[in-house]
Amino acid sequence: MTANEPSALRRAGSLQPVELAQASVMAALCAATAIIAVVVPFAAGVSLLGTVPMGLLAYRYRLRVLIAATVAGAVIAFLIAGMGGFMTVVDCAYIGGLTGVVKRRGRGIFTVFWAALVAGSLFGVLAVAALAILARLRHLIFDSVTANVNGLAAVIAHIPDMEPAAERLKHDFATALHYWPFLFFGWAVITIVIVTLIGWWALTRVMARLLGIPDVHKLDSSTDSGPIAPVPVRLHDVRFRYPKVDHDALGPVSLSVEPGEHVAVTGANGSGKTTLMLMLAGREPTAGTIERPGAVGLGKLGGTAVIMQHPESQVLGTRVSDDVVWGLPPGKSIDVHRLLGEVGLDGLAERDTGGLSGGELQRLAVAAALAREPSLLIADEVTSMVDQDGRDGLLSVLSGLTQHHRMSLVHITHYNSEADAADRVINLTGNGGAADNTEMVDTAAAPSATVPVAHHSAKPVLELDGVGHEYASGTPWATTALRDINFAVNEGDGLLIHGLNGSGKSTLAWIMAGLTVPTVGTCLLDGQPVSDQVGAVAISFQAARLQLMRSRVDLEVASAAGFSHRDYDRVVAALATVGLDPGLAHRRVDQLSGGQMRRVVLAGLLARSPRALILDEPLAGLDAASQDGLLRLLEELRRSAGLTVVVISHDFSGLEDLCPRTLHLHDGQLAAPTTAGGVS
Amino acid sequence: MTGPTRQRAPVVLLRPVPGHTVIHRLWAGTKLIAVAGIGVLLTFYPGWVPIGLVAALILTTAWLAGIQRGTLPSIPRWLWILLFFGGATATFAGGSPFIDIGSVHLALGGLLSFLRITAVSIVLLGLGAMVSWTTNVAEIAPAVATLGRPLRPLRVPVDDWAVALALALRAFPMLIDEFRVLYAARRLRPKMVLTTRRQRRKRWALEVVDILATGITVALRRADEVGDAITARGGAGQISAVPSGPKRADWVALSIVIVMCAIAVTLELTVLGTL
Repeated sequence: MTANEPSALRRAGSLQPVELAQASVMAALCAATAIIAVVVPFAAGVSLLGTVPMGLLAYRYRLRVLIAATVAGAVIAFLIAGMGGFMTVVDCAYIGGLTGVVKRRGRGIFTVFWAALVAGSLFGVLAVAALAILARLRHLIFDSVTANVNGLAAVIAHIPDMEPAAERLKHDFATALHYWPFLFFGWAVITIVIVTLIGWWALTRVMARLLGIPDVHKLDSSTDSGPIAPVPVRLHDVRFRYPKVDHDALGPVSLSVEPGEHVAVTGANGSGKTTLMLMLAGREPTAGTIERPGAVGLGKLGGTAVIMQHPESQVLGTRVSDDVVWGLPPGKSIDVHRLLGEVGLDGLAERDTGGLSGGELQRLAVAAALAREPSLLIADEVTSMVDQDGRDGLLSVLSGLTQHHRMSLVHITHYNSEADAADRVINLTGNGGAADNTEMVDTAAAPSATVPVAHHSAKPVLELDGVGHEYASGTPWATTALRDINFAVNEGDGLLIHGLNGSGKSTLAWIMAGLTVPTVGTCLLDGQPVSDQVGAVAISFQAARLQLMRSRVDLEVASAAGFSHRDYDRVVAALATVGLDPGLAHRRVDQLSGGQMRRVVLAGLLARSPRALILDEPLAGLDAASQDGLLRLLEELRRSAGLTVVVISHDFSGLEDLCPRTLHLHDGQLAAPTTAGGVS
Repeated sequence: MTGPTRQRAPVVLLRPVPGHTVIHRLWAGTKLIAVAGIGVLLTFYPGWVPIGLVAALILTTAWLAGIQRGTLPSIPRWLWILLFFGGATATFAGGSPFIDIGSVHLALGGLLSFLRITAVSIVLLGLGAMVSWTTNVAEIAPAVATLGRPLRPLRVPVDDWAVALALALRAFPMLIDEFRVLYAARRLRPKMVLTTRRQRRKRWALEVVDILATGITVALRRADEVGDAITARGGAGQISAVPSGPKRADWVALSIVIVMCAIAVTLELTVLGTL
């Protein structure tokens, strides 16, 4: 169960953290495709796609990983779609595993064909054997199908001159059924071969696309042995350089963390804050020395605990109390309720983690870290994806920790205000080399007006009249997301729809973009239902990566905007609209920073001259400089190009200039509208 | 999966029907054993007696669990049409048994076969539905770990499987949400502009690869982050805070299922056999 094994034994041992994570996510992906294939009518072909994640697992990891993923995926598919789902996942794993292994061995399509023939024969023999044993079920199925065929033949026989054909059908079917073992064997071989070849093709194509994806995994299991004692830690002239990069990501840095100390580390993006976290969490520096009295003990009792940026990904349990104990050594018992009380989550032990807000998830991560009674707790930009309320709550939890526990706290943040509670602040200056080109982006020329300026004309673009929405209507799970929403968005407006987690603001955004048809009321764009004009209102989702479907920036912008990527001038023009350098046109999408991804999405959307632009949490996950640059760009577009902008956010800060008008959404209802900034 | 635009009752994924009934409180392992056992029974003996007994058991369970009719997803029209055609053609086939009502001579053999296989499918679906409607997702992985314990001496990595299952169940709703966004983003885009004839012919292939690649990229990123989170916790270990296992109600439930299976097999093989 421990991740602390020497690498020589690894191949034989139980699954490593990375393997577990890959197995489970790919299992969920495969289960999702299998379920769609079974549940959605005429979508059986989708199940072919399930072979790709499984093939990828077999290509990258050992067989044990594939088997664990198969079990997990099959159980999920069974729970939702029954035996059909279960069998689909097993088939996907069988075929995906085959293609993945062949690919790993570096063989080509010829090998795949022969392997598929063998695998198909094996499968055929198994299927025939199973049917031979299940004699009653076989008779039932055969009787039933025979009845269908004979009935059809009886109907055909009534058509004049068709009697011989009907007789023939009946006879041939009976003959075929007589030789059923051959029939089923042949069918198994042919389908397996075809599906394998399709799977091989898809895997090859997808893998060609995946080459440029950076591995964003950061932490490595600690390999040092001996008694665990991570503090006091002293860094002398530590530098770190990632492989295949020509500059240091960190350093030289000299610092120390004493027992019981609360240290804040601040610095701009690219100053090496996260790299420093890795050093403290046990990674070896490229130069310089790190002194500790004992082992780092990452995730071990009394060792080092790390809390990271993404709230959703680091919560591993489906139930709050399960997450607190997740990964503790077997037999170790802790007081879950006391820990939850300490981080302000009292009474939520039985809750589903899926329903928690970002701030609550991060506090839960703190509780899980405290369950290990760590000597050193590292919080790495834990507030960057959390709304203002959540941020305040989280900070008050963090600032009390060193008083109540025998631990040192290193709090890494890019907000100077968050560093105030610390005993000591370390400011990393960095060398700037690792920073993306946000500076360049900010100073890019202001976009020129492409649409006639139409300031605050009274003409409404979007009109919502009595809009309400209920999910899962008529079932026990019915939940009302929105109630009686009435408002209009005028041409050139800048509107902020503000609401906390679960206020229904994302549903509202989807309705305004025409992606969701409200259960009551209407949402009109220029007098027509917006759901009939999907695409006329642009929407930029919070997860920008999901909106980037092509591999390269120019391909992406052209495809999103609806012109050919050979039309280089238009690609450059679209990039210029969002303040991006033409040099980015040939960059791979996966090499962009978060802020750049958001701008590329905007470039594609704006090139189609949308009637309005909806932005769902446009600032989430961006550092201060990128936030600032994006806001200035949007303000400029609204002012000079007359763009109608609707921002959906849980935050106000910095949005006043872009959005003079604010609507508050609370529990699916609008509070009294407020206006500011001279817009009527 | 295709966005919440349809007004018919949707398939709700992995969320139990609200309630704290006897059935909800049963150990997840009991339900899995029962479903597996009954599944085996029906594949070996798909006769009318086993079908009827299992159907009765399902209805009783549903009544005990307080499952209302609204819980059922609506049956799409094409399925009704398919059932009608299947039933009609099977009826025309005739065959024994024969029934004479007045002057009408009915041959029901074909129809009965068709109805029986349809009933088996419905009953099997109902069994699975009972489990997912009454079981909290968090209880499933620990139950699998406990059920698999006898396999451990055979060096079957049951614990790895349970952990992977728990994590997959956690990742599943997140991925479904991401798929919904992906699908919506796809709907927002204009039709692809393709310059050569070859590209046009392969339009669907290009789109499939686009969507697959984006989906897998997102999944890989998610997996990297989850891997970091597992590493930060020092690897896998406990997965559940509350100890779970069979209680008295579970033994009672299992006994009922076993007795029912025994009765079904006995009747099927002796007096009331279907063939």
